[in-house]
Amino acid sequence: MWFLLTVAGRVARSAWVEDRLADHATLARMASGDHDALAELYDRLARPVYSLALRILRDPADAEDIVQEVFSQAWRQAGRYDARRGTVAAWLLTLARSRAIDRLRSRRARPDDVAAEPDPNIPDRGIAADLQIQSAQQVARVRAALEELPALQRIVLELAYYEGLTHVEIAERLEQPLGTVKTRIRQAMMRLRDSLAGAV
Amino acid sequence: MATDNDLHELASLYVIGALPRADREAFEAHLATCAQCQQDVRTLSPVGEALAYAAPDVEPPADLRQRVLASVGATSSARGRARATAAARTTSPLWSMSGLSGLATAASLLLAVVLGGYAVQLRGRVASLEGRLAQALARVDASERLVAEARRAVSDAQVSLVVLTAPDMARVELAGQAVAPRAAGRAFWSRSRGLVFTASNLPALPAGRTYQLWVVTAQAPVSAGLLKPDPNGAVNVIFTTPSDLQRPTAMAVTIEPDGGVPAPTGAMYLVGAIAGL
Repeated sequence: MWFLLTVAGRVARSAWVEDRLADHATLARMASGDHDALAELYDRLARPVYSLALRILRDPADAEDIVQEVFSQAWRQAGRYDARRGTVAAWLLTLARSRAIDRLRSRRARPDDVAAEPDPNIPDRGIAADLQIQSAQQVARVRAALEELPALQRIVLELAYYEGLTHVEIAERLEQPLGTVKTRIRQAMMRLRDSLAGAV
Repeated sequence: MATDNDLHELASLYVIGALPRADREAFEAHLATCAQCQQDVRTLSPVGEALAYAAPDVEPPADLRQRVLASVGATSSARGRARATAAARTTSPLWSMSGLSGLATAASLLLAVVLGGYAVQLRGRVASLEGRLAQALARVDASERLVAEARRAVSDAQVSLVVLTAPDMARVELAGQAVAPRAAGRAFWSRSRGLVFTASNLPALPAGRTYQLWVVTAQAPVSAGLLKPDPNGAVNVIFTTPSDLQRPTAMAVTIEPDGGVPAPTGAMYLVGAIAGL
């Protein structure tokens, strides 16, 4: 997948792709103990990491803690990062979501049935993704597509992604059959995927 | 135990991390051998990534950068500082005073300092707990609003379905009039079950005005309710109508003062005849 991104970068290097390629080099310098590299990575990625943590936790002080934790984990584990598994940005965002959801769940005092990302430490979905995000326009498209989802699809997806609820919990909370919740999440994901595919 | 069929459905939940642990483990075991699910995970993963970027964009506070950079590599020196403080406390100069009265004075002084410090600490904790309580209440509010919105959407969807499948359902196409030639509307009305109304391209309302929907009978127009279009000029609403309503002949939308009026007074934006009733 790293290869695909590189190819995409050669063909039409958006500023976005340039940044993601630069992240990769920056992380390599962090792995060899270069403090300036950490500052560079922070400048490129602190904003999306903070925005995601704030969306999930809705509390600036907690979101700042998450940023702190994510960048110090990135510093400690820079050497273990495997570029074939995804971009550095995706890795940090995965860490941020999983830590934020953990914190949200411990606030709800039910930390046990955590449904964080498959592996909170290393971005490992077992298989590489076909298509990476390749431009800021794609992000804008997805944001718009999310807004335009039918209300129930959007709500179900937001409860799952930003509130960290499992599909079972969503079904209980909305008093909806489990199958309906699954179907709605799937439909929502398909629509977002189409919006992503339509804009590079 | 989930069957293979159930497992196929889980790829999208897996990608966004919405599976409870047991289901996740079962899915991962299945994923290793299922080409279809591998394909699903591959194509859906970017959506998971996109959702991470789709959170509303907020600039982090400027001083956070310095704190993050300072904290990395500073862990060991922070530990050293904590040890030094503890050592200083055990050799506090108060305890080196000599004589019984000196000791008593020192003890009461220390007590006063400790109590004063404790009071300050308590005030701080109360303030911090109050802050957290306010945040927790705000969160409960937000999530209750989300659930209420979902419930309303479900119940609207159910009413729509009931109206659309009613045996006495009548469909009315409403055409835009001179003031809004691009506007269009459509209504589904069932005497027994209610009225579903949608419209698009309605012009933005001036302040203090509202659109009002009328069911026109041979006697008089009867108000069905008020319409507030979204910023795109679209409306999607459900109304109940009185079951003893006179046989309607048409539906119309007019512009009226806020709050609506008992009988239409303003310009007509949409109108359509009810056929065959």
